[in-house]
Amino acid sequence: MFSRPTWRSRVGYQLLATILILPFAVPLLWIVTISFQGAGPTANYNAVFTQTPFVRFLLNSLLISIGTVALVFVCTMLAGYALGKLKFRGRELIFTGILAGLMLPAIALIVPLFMMVRRFGLFNNYLAVIVPLAAVLLPMTILLTRNFMKGIPDELLDAARIDGATSFGALTRIVIPLSRPIIAVVIVWAFLNSWNEFLLPLLFLQDTSLQAVTQIPTYFTSTYGSDVPKIFAALVLMCLPIVIAYLAFQKFFERGLTAGALK
Amino acid sequence: MTQPSTVGQRTAIARREGSRRRSQLTAYLYLLPALMIIIGITYFSVFYNAWVSTLDWNGIDPNPDQVGGANYLKIARDPIFWTSVSHVAVFGVVTVIVQMVAGLGLALVLGGPIVGRGVYKALVFIPVVLAPAAISTAFRQFLRPDGQVNDVLQGIGLASMQQAWIADPKFALYALAAVNIFQWTGFSFMLYQAALSQIDQNHLEAAQLDGAGTWRTIRHIVIPQLRPTHLTLALTGVIGSLKTFDIVFLITGGGPGRSTEFLTTYIYKQSIMQFHVGYGAALSVVMLLLALILTLVQTRIYKLDRED
Repeated sequence: MFSRPTWRSRVGYQLLATILILPFAVPLLWIVTISFQGAGPTANYNAVFTQTPFVRFLLNSLLISIGTVALVFVCTMLAGYALGKLKFRGRELIFTGILAGLMLPAIALIVPLFMMVRRFGLFNNYLAVIVPLAAVLLPMTILLTRNFMKGIPDELLDAARIDGATSFGALTRIVIPLSRPIIAVVIVWAFLNSWNEFLLPLLFLQDTSLQAVTQIPTYFTSTYGSDVPKIFAALVLMCLPIVIAYLAFQKFFERGLTAGALK
Repeated sequence: MTQPSTVGQRTAIARREGSRRRSQLTAYLYLLPALMIIIGITYFSVFYNAWVSTLDWNGIDPNPDQVGGANYLKIARDPIFWTSVSHVAVFGVVTVIVQMVAGLGLALVLGGPIVGRGVYKALVFIPVVLAPAAISTAFRQFLRPDGQVNDVLQGIGLASMQQAWIADPKFALYALAAVNIFQWTGFSFMLYQAALSQIDQNHLEAAQLDGAGTWRTIRHIVIPQLRPTHLTLALTGVIGSLKTFDIVFLITGGGPGRSTEFLTTYIYKQSIMQFHVGYGAALSVVMLLLALILTLVQTRIYKLDRED
């Protein structure tokens, strides 16, 4: 970036970068190495799979995440389209009303959520996690999608309408295919937040057979005491899917996580 | 506008009016699912909180006492509330400053001639995508008196700096801030990297030809040009600190004593563990107000900044 690199400055940069990276790399390395200690890697990882409902937790989280992503996706596409491309009375008011929830901390909603879940008998029901998660995620996803869709030329939609497409047809056949970059961001954002969510499952999923991956550490410590290497084996396994997903879709993750701050 | 003169024109206009009304209706239909969720959960919750906050209620009693603003008066005199707020402030300031310096440093250095840049970048960013619940569990172990952090200090000859970290009220809050910094520096790194790539290269080269050293170029040209990014990071960092729950709840649970109590953990304890639902709701309202004020400040500053 700055003056043309000599080999000395190259070595200097490399050394500096390596030192700066250590505080991030070393703890990650520890997580893996601790999981190999104690009874040894095979025994630790084997124990996680055979002695605990780990696979169950994983599947549960997958269900919660798929449900959240689907709900957020449908609501966001419809609302983003209406707010970005259609004209109707009260549009700005509704948009502002949705944006008001942008910085909402979920923890400040626990009293009402608890009462609602109790009133509707939704304890141990994934809806109790999925719907509040969607409520917290929607303002951001709608903002990003609406801004993106606003940039799609009206001429394209008019042309489609002249060809006889309904407004819903224009959404599914023109707007959504053109919105792929922002859709990727919405899906990554919703998936990551639901997969990593800790508070809502903690509050509403008490049945062990229904709990989520983020409850694994607590479950382990209370059931198996402090067999640290086995807990770390479980940590590695619960992080693995998200790390693999990140490495596979690096660009979308980085864009998805920073998109909110850049808007 | 002219009066429609012929029947044909009139029906055409009527049809257009009708189709406009129909398209208005479709727009509302498209908004319905999102609005149902946002109004049903978010808006309902905010108003329900406001109502419950005027009650002395354990969440079960069918006839709770109306106490008006008593819960809010109690908050104003509650030392735990004020310590929680001060913890959030300290945690927020430490996190924001270290994260910005580290993120910018990394972005600058990794912008240089580095072999394996992709690996370095991924390592900084991986903590951002991991569950705070996983990171908290790991650091709870690392920060124990016989944990990995103290082992490293011993290994590099700094045994005198070993601490009980999370078990020591003097250090626990800073230990939590360190964990938060570990998790989120990748985020500020990414934002700085994106902003750096947009700085005019000619500008930098000109400065270099002028004989400005690298450090001076960074200080006088790069850092001022990154102003919007500094602002974004400072504000999202402060709001993020206000919302932090998982790390605190799982690493220290607010302890030792109350030394790391946050507004979030205090709300959780009051409403869920001690059934002081009315008081918990009042604390939630205060927290919502704080979040709202910070968001307003944020949009205000952005607007001012853009007008400059």
